[in-house]
Amino acid sequence: MGEAMVKAFRWWWGILLAFSLVALSRFVLPLAFINEVIIFSIYTIGCSFLLGRVGFISFGQPAYLAVGAYGTAFYLSYFGTNPYVGLLLGVLSGLAVSGLVGPLFVRLRSDYFALVNLALAVIIYYLMQKVLAEITRGDNGLWFLTNIVATPVLDISSPNQFFIFALLVAMAVWAFYKYLDDSIFGACCLATKVNEDKLMFLGYSNYSVRLTAFIIANTTTALAGAMYAVYLGFVSPEITSPARAADPVVVTILGGTGTLYGPLVGAIAYTGMKDVISKLIGNWELFIGFLLVFIMLAGERGIWGTLQPRLQALFSRNSAPAAMDDRATKRP
Amino acid sequence: MPPHSPVPPHNEDLLTVRGLTVSYGESRVLFDIDLSISPRQIVACVGRNGAGKTTLLKTIAGFLKPLSGSVTCDHASLVGRMSYDIARMGIKYVPQDKKVFSDLTVRENLELGSYATKDYNWDRVTDYFPKLKQLMDRKAGYLSGGERQMLMIGRALLGSPKLLLIDEPTEGLAPSIVTHLKTVFGDLRKNTALVIVEQNLPLVCAISSKVYALKEGRVVAALADRESISVDACERYL
Amino acid sequence: MMDTQLLISGILFGLSIGSIYFLMAIGLSLCFGLMRIISLDQLLYYSVGAYITYSLSLATGSIWLGVLGGVGVAGIVSFAVERLIFRRIYERELTFSMITSFGILIGGIGVIKFFWGVVPRPVPVPTLAQVGILGTEVPVYRLIVVAIAVLVYAGIWLFLNRTIIGKAIRAGIENVEHVEGLGINVSRLFTITFIIAGTLSGLAGGLHAPLIMVDPSMGLEVLAFVFMVVIIGGLGSIKGTLISAFIVGQVVSLGSLIYAPLAQMAPFAIMLLILLIKPTGLYGSALLKR
Repeated sequence: MGEAMVKAFRWWWGILLAFSLVALSRFVLPLAFINEVIIFSIYTIGCSFLLGRVGFISFGQPAYLAVGAYGTAFYLSYFGTNPYVGLLLGVLSGLAVSGLVGPLFVRLRSDYFALVNLALAVIIYYLMQKVLAEITRGDNGLWFLTNIVATPVLDISSPNQFFIFALLVAMAVWAFYKYLDDSIFGACCLATKVNEDKLMFLGYSNYSVRLTAFIIANTTTALAGAMYAVYLGFVSPEITSPARAADPVVVTILGGTGTLYGPLVGAIAYTGMKDVISKLIGNWELFIGFLLVFIMLAGERGIWGTLQPRLQALFSRNSAPAAMDDRATKRP
Repeated sequence: MPPHSPVPPHNEDLLTVRGLTVSYGESRVLFDIDLSISPRQIVACVGRNGAGKTTLLKTIAGFLKPLSGSVTCDHASLVGRMSYDIARMGIKYVPQDKKVFSDLTVRENLELGSYATKDYNWDRVTDYFPKLKQLMDRKAGYLSGGERQMLMIGRALLGSPKLLLIDEPTEGLAPSIVTHLKTVFGDLRKNTALVIVEQNLPLVCAISSKVYALKEGRVVAALADRESISVDACERYL
Repeated sequence: MMDTQLLISGILFGLSIGSIYFLMAIGLSLCFGLMRIISLDQLLYYSVGAYITYSLSLATGSIWLGVLGGVGVAGIVSFAVERLIFRRIYERELTFSMITSFGILIGGIGVIKFFWGVVPRPVPVPTLAQVGILGTEVPVYRLIVVAIAVLVYAGIWLFLNRTIIGKAIRAGIENVEHVEGLGINVSRLFTITFIIAGTLSGLAGGLHAPLIMVDPSMGLEVLAFVFMVVIIGGLGSIKGTLISAFIVGQVVSLGSLIYAPLAQMAPFAIMLLILLIKPTGLYGSALLKR
């Protein structure tokens, strides 16, 4: 019994630590900032998983963000008031859309893949902005904050309690991805990136692996979109405008592709830098563009990607296994 | 298996390879290779598939960077130079894949060779391979295997190279063409040194004056004596 | 059914917008074919071309001078980027060049914002003349744009098929190693190709500028369409690019006459359809690992 508990602790301690730190920062940083960071990191972990594990970069993550956000928004604007139901519908929309386009998209070569996703994001942008303007109110956006009722136990209509909710959701998401990493499926994903012929000869279907990963990653993104919708009480097409395509990619690289905590670190760094830089020089694109190029040329490991091996080395000198954390960061 | 004893370099050596070690990523492919080639000599490099023969030629030609070791030609070091610089120095690599530029005509293929070497005299090429004269305006993609091999070698002859590195030239070719190539190699020897990687042992034993046998990335034998070169001798080392 | 006049101006509109996409798509296709990179930064040279056209035409009063200047500056910038950045990354996998070039694009947008600010700028059309075609008055400028694109296509064709460097490039698209093995300096070949791409993108930007407002994110806005053209036509094929640019241009233009909002999305549907049948596009090369 004690053994099982130790084992569970070993597995969980990284996640618990990371999110305890986030929770504690509540006392130091503004609530709005932290809520934003948490949702953003959930947004990014899907992208990071796709790129780092499966080897696909998508310039169209905003598409799935919008699907989740609008799925929730439509419900809360026209059909009901329960934010939990709204969230669920947002996630289901994401699942549906990614299940729909997935079978075609994942067959494509990596560059075509990136670009069809971008095209999808642009299409959804136009869709929400012009075509469905009657129900989406176009650029004005859908406002439904007042529609959301207080929910029992945890009233996610209040920012404070939303924060707790978001934290719990994030931990669940992280636990899920960590589980994936450790599972056979996770190994298959890596294999499909590194040597798809070998995986095929082992009897696995590259296509199925990629499709499943694609659906998982984009449903997670849709979840983030749904959370944005509930948190802000407002959705506009801007979240999937062409200019926003950069966000998840940059955060992924910044944090460290394919690492478990990279998205969290990246989201914090990105949102923080954005606030600071925007106030200082106001020209955010300049900074982020050059930063991205710099990171790529300097080894593409990102912040957490560089820190993590060093921390691991540090801890393994002191105590026994530190490898419970993030084995998967060993880049070939 | 007798250990390979390095052949001492002569001063008039054209190409000298010392201690060459090459790896593809994590795996070592060539270990400590020593070679020497004299001008106007035909040297054969034999070995089973995967022994590292192509890797050796590619490294000499500059397509791969060795982990350690040296490659010198006429007292100039080749390691670290770009492959196109090495080609312009007069060392041409004729790859194994029998691929020519299929969308270009035979003429245009040769033009590219001329452009690089500034040698627009195609007489030598057509002397060795008269068939190419008739094929000048045909798209190279429509050539047969033998014709493509002729084009590849002909292209490489432009600029009068001092050394040709030829990778499995007779693979997949009809016997009549193989015989033709054998004559061509014999003629080429008068002006150019040749290193030929081959599985066709009778051929190379007939024309080479030196044979290196490669096994699992190492030189296991260097037969430098005409009398010692025979198919049996080679097979013993493989 | 449809008014003939509307139809004719719709076709011309489609041809002109298709021409712009074509000019950019050639560069992307060549860069991919020869260097195996995805050069998203071409969208930056497009923006640069447009902005220089704006400033120069403001300063000199001549828009054509502006376009010329835009082409020149775009060429110079692309040369600098190739030397400084792409040189180091040719060997890497596709996603690497995609992400890096995307960073260059975003950073470049920042530079544009720095110099010109965020407010969209108008560029006057060089000529407001109209000419009658089949009973319809059409803007001469759009005809000029199409004419220029046709000239460029002819020029590129001549370059690739009649000059030795062009043939070297075609050979390199088939197999770079073999070209190296002949003694040809492929590094220089890469640079030349990249500059050609950058100049053509700059030309596209300069020509497009009078038709739209020039704003910092203009590159991002066209990005999706340019890539839909490239994907439909197949990366690496000039002929495919011409055909798909024509198709996309017509679909967007004529489609908007039929039902405006869906017209923008139609190319996407076509792209998906074609990818379903042929995952590398109409004329795309099937080779290549992921």
